[in-house]
Order: sequence, then C-alpha cells, then structure tokens
Amino acid sequence: MRHVEKRGAMGIRLGKKPEVENPVLIAGWPGIGNIGIIAVDTLRGMMRAEEFGEIEPWDFFYPKKVLIRNGELMDLGFPTSKFYFKRTEGKDLIFFIGEEQPAQAGRAYAEGKKAYQMANLVLDVALEFGCRRVYTSGAAVAPIHHTLIPKVWAVPNNESLVDEVRRYENTILMSDIEGRGGQGNITGLNGLLLGVAKRRGMEAICVMGEIPIYLQGLPLAYPKASKSVLEVLITALGIRIEMEGIDELVQSSESEIERLYEMFPSEIKEQLDKLKYVTYAKPTEPAPITEEDKRRILEDIDKFFRKEPKED
Amino acid sequence: MSEKHPLKIYGKPKLESSSLVVGWGEDAGRLGTKVIDYLNKRLGGKEFGEIEPADFFPLGGVSVEDDVAQFPESKFYWCPEKKLAVFKSNRPASEWHKFLNLVLDVAEHYCHAKELYTIGGMVSVAAHTSPRELLAVANSPEMREILIQYDLARGFDYETPPGQRPTLNSFLLWVARRRNIAAASLWVPIPFYLVAAEDPRAWRKTVEFLDRRFVLGIDFRDIDEDVSRQDEKIAGLRSRSSEVDSYIQKLESNLGLTEEENEKLVKEVEAFLRRRD
Repeated sequence: MRHVEKRGAMGIRLGKKPEVENPVLIAGWPGIGNIGIIAVDTLRGMMRAEEFGEIEPWDFFYPKKVLIRNGELMDLGFPTSKFYFKRTEGKDLIFFIGEEQPAQAGRAYAEGKKAYQMANLVLDVALEFGCRRVYTSGAAVAPIHHTLIPKVWAVPNNESLVDEVRRYENTILMSDIEGRGGQGNITGLNGLLLGVAKRRGMEAICVMGEIPIYLQGLPLAYPKASKSVLEVLITALGIRIEMEGIDELVQSSESEIERLYEMFPSEIKEQLDKLKYVTYAKPTEPAPITEEDKRRILEDIDKFFRKEPKED
Repeated sequence: MSEKHPLKIYGKPKLESSSLVVGWGEDAGRLGTKVIDYLNKRLGGKEFGEIEPADFFPLGGVSVEDDVAQFPESKFYWCPEKKLAVFKSNRPASEWHKFLNLVLDVAEHYCHAKELYTIGGMVSVAAHTSPRELLAVANSPEMREILIQYDLARGFDYETPPGQRPTLNSFLLWVARRRNIAAASLWVPIPFYLVAAEDPRAWRKTVEFLDRRFVLGIDFRDIDEDVSRQDEKIAGLRSRSSEVDSYIQKLESNLGLTEEENEKLVKEVEAFLRRRD
C-alpha cells in the first residue's frame, strides 16, 4: 500500500488511486444465506477487479486468527474490508467487500455508531473517486419453495429510482408484496448504506435475493438467490459475464438442500411443498391453493421454525 | 453534551519501571480474578483508577451469579511495596481495541510499566490431582528471552483453528507490541471439570512465577490450604460416587472419557463444589 489516509480516528489505506470515471459502487457484507456477498464477490472475481485499498480493521473487529511461532506472537489477523476497481467500456466499477459486519459480540449484524462509521468510510472512498450511484445486496426471507427461481426485492433510496427499478427483470418492489403496503426494513450494513448514501446525496439501490423461509436459520449459503441478484446487477450495469462459476455453486448447494429437505418430517414437507404454488406478490395470478391454505402453511412453517420473516 | 473520557484516574501510583499484571473475569477456573485478588490481598493493592463501562459493555440489565447481581468492573490497583500494578476486569463486549489501548495508556503513563503480563486458564483433559503446567507466549524476541530464563515460551507453535477466535490476551499482546510494550501471556491448563469452579493449584502455579519474577516474598501456606481443602472435597465426592471416582481414576491413568462421561463428571463436580459448606 502506498500511503495511509486517516478519516477521524479511523483509517483508510489506499494503495493506488484508480483512474475511474463516474464509477458505480457495489458493496456487500455477509448476511442471511450470504446471498449478497456471494453475488458481489462473484461479480468482482469475474470482472477481475483490482484491489486498491482497505479500511483498517482493528477499531471495528475482534481478531479472527493468531499466529504463534516458537513461543512468540507473530501476527494477529482481522476480518478484511477491501476496495477493488475495474475500468470497463461501459460503467467503471468500485467494489467494496466486507468480510464481516462490525457487530457487537454475539450479534451477526452491525448497528449503531460502528455501523454508521463503517458506512461513512465506504462512502468517503466512493465519493473521492466521483461515485454517485451505489448498489448493495442482501437476502429477502420469503414464503417460497427452494425449487423456484428466487425473485429479487429491490429497495431504492430515492423515489426517482422507482421507475428504473420497475424495469429490472424478475424484480419486485416492497409495494408489490401483498400486505406490506410498501413497508419493510433491511437489517445491517447492506441496508444502512442506503440510508447513509441518501443522507450524503447519493443514489442507492439494495437488491435482495429471495431465500425460502425454512432455510433462513440454517448455516447454508444460498447461491441460487445470489444468481438472481447477479442477473439484476449485470443488467443494471450493462455488463456481460459468464455465469458458469455461480452455476456450479448453485448446483452443489441444490444437492445439499435436497438432502436436508429429505430429512424434514413428512408432515412438514407436505406443507412446505405447497409453497411451490404460493403467490404472494401482486399482481396475483390464479393460484392452485386458497388464501386459507396459504395462511395455514405460513402459520405451520412459522411454528416449526419459530422465526419471523425478515430482510437483511 | 460532551462525551466523558472513559478512563478515570483518582490516585497517583508511585511506580517506576513497574510491571502490570492483567486478569479477566469469566476465566477458566476463575484464574484471572483469583490471582489478582490474591495479589491485592497479600501485597495491599490500592485502587487508583478504572475504565467506565458504558462504551464497552452492553448494560442492558445485570447478570446474576451465585444469587447476586453483577456489574462489569475494570479497575487498576498498585502495590506500594513492590514495583507492581494489577488490572482486574470483566471482558469487554465491544470496542476491544479502544479498551485495550486504555489499559496500555495506564500501563505506560501511570505505571511506567516495562513489562505487562496477562493471566489465563485453558481447558485441559488432565485430572485435578496432576501437577499444573505454566505456558507462556511473548510479544517480542526480548520478552521471550526473559521467559526462557524461567524455562517458559519454548518451542510453542499455535494457529487459531477454523471456527474459533483468538483470546483477548492475544489481542492485548498484539496491541502492546504495536506500542513497543513488552508483554507476555501466561496460561495454565485447568482440568475441564474445574473450569466453571475454581482451581487453586492453577492460582498457585501462576503466583509462583510472579513471586519469582518480582521477588514478592509470598507465603504460599494459604493457597496450599485451599488446594488441600478442594482435594478433600473432591475426595469426599469420589468416596460417595463410584462413577465419579472411576472417571477421575481413568483421567489419572491418562485414559480418555466418552463425551457422556465428560458431561457427567462436570455436572457432578460442579454441583458438589457449588454446595455451600
């Protein structure tokens, strides 16, 4: 790294200044099913984006690794928060990948002062290179079956972006979801960055891939939803990439999920199978199950997994 | 409203070229707090400062231990007759780097410390009747040379296994190294069935080293009495329960226990030692 810049008490290290024009920032942190981070990191890898900086970790994170050799502590490793860039013929890109959210002990998501500081540092770098548009990504926990293609829920931070988001394929807005009235919340930094960007006058859109409600609490990645997110991102950014890498991930995760699914009790599986036919997004199409069926399925699933639907 | 500085110093320790010994609560065998309490008691430790909890602990209520409400404490003491200061604290739940730097600020600016030692227990599968070992990790080649004089910090390699995290002591050693403060972490393996109870043999092993290093003139009779008292208690349990006795015998013969036997032994010993005399 060439030099170290300090923002307040927290530090950003920038190795070299990328020559980018009006870049778009695509940021991701881990969350439910690691849907967002897999999408963003896959795109970064496929675009062969080059690392150019990082946020100093020690004020945000507990270390993740110690190295002791011959009775002497040689090094301590922390979760990384790195910036990458890629010049393209279309839009130039800046990627930010956070290996962890700066959460308090025992929590998965960042909140409060630390989360706000992290979000501002990420946007400091983006603004320094002329970025005005931000994409973040995460998961939307939905009453769907894992054999269906996950939709992408999109939340812009500005009303003027709603029409643009409506044009994305396989994408729905909060107001398209029955009973939500356009309301919801996005937990952690994948959501908070939208708000901080708004405060700093930047356009931002969070794209969340659907994960079946019964998979949200399991320690499994859900790359099938990452692929849906990736498809939306590449269309929005006007870029082309080969999907083979993520297709392999999707295939191997599908087999693992099928194996798990077979282990569920038959009465639960019977209920979950009905999710193949649930339509919760407006406009509704004629569905092979009744509203009463749908309510009962969701109640049963909720009882079984004792979790509330949520986004991250 | 202006933010208060979390470090409160209300006494001026008369210390030059001292050492700071750090012990944490929630330690295996209560090693950290027991050793610090013991040093304070024997050496007449005087409180001179503390770190305010608000920035570092959740404070969403209080925890209750042994029927009593607890509140996080992070306090500094100094021992007038010796070149020694001690720090006893609960483990912070957030802002670890800031917290550890505050500890080192006190070590550097108020204690004028040339060395820092942390104390920690680690889980062992040995029987409680086996002798305790003392292990040490240095944060610099110079500190390692000091430890080698005590036959410590030799040939010890370690990397955090996947799914685990380094200890707070390792974090403190690393921060101290970045500030050029010589530091070492001291570790005593604690029999797994004493981890949630107390392990006076482990206290003794740690205090023995500190006594040698700082010429403290400790009279170990009281700790030896604690060791005997606990041995007698566990012997009593062994004579009542042939199952517990057979498990401990296996451990004494360097044989392993099944997971179920491990759990049973922990449960029986903890329940027995928790009983009030």
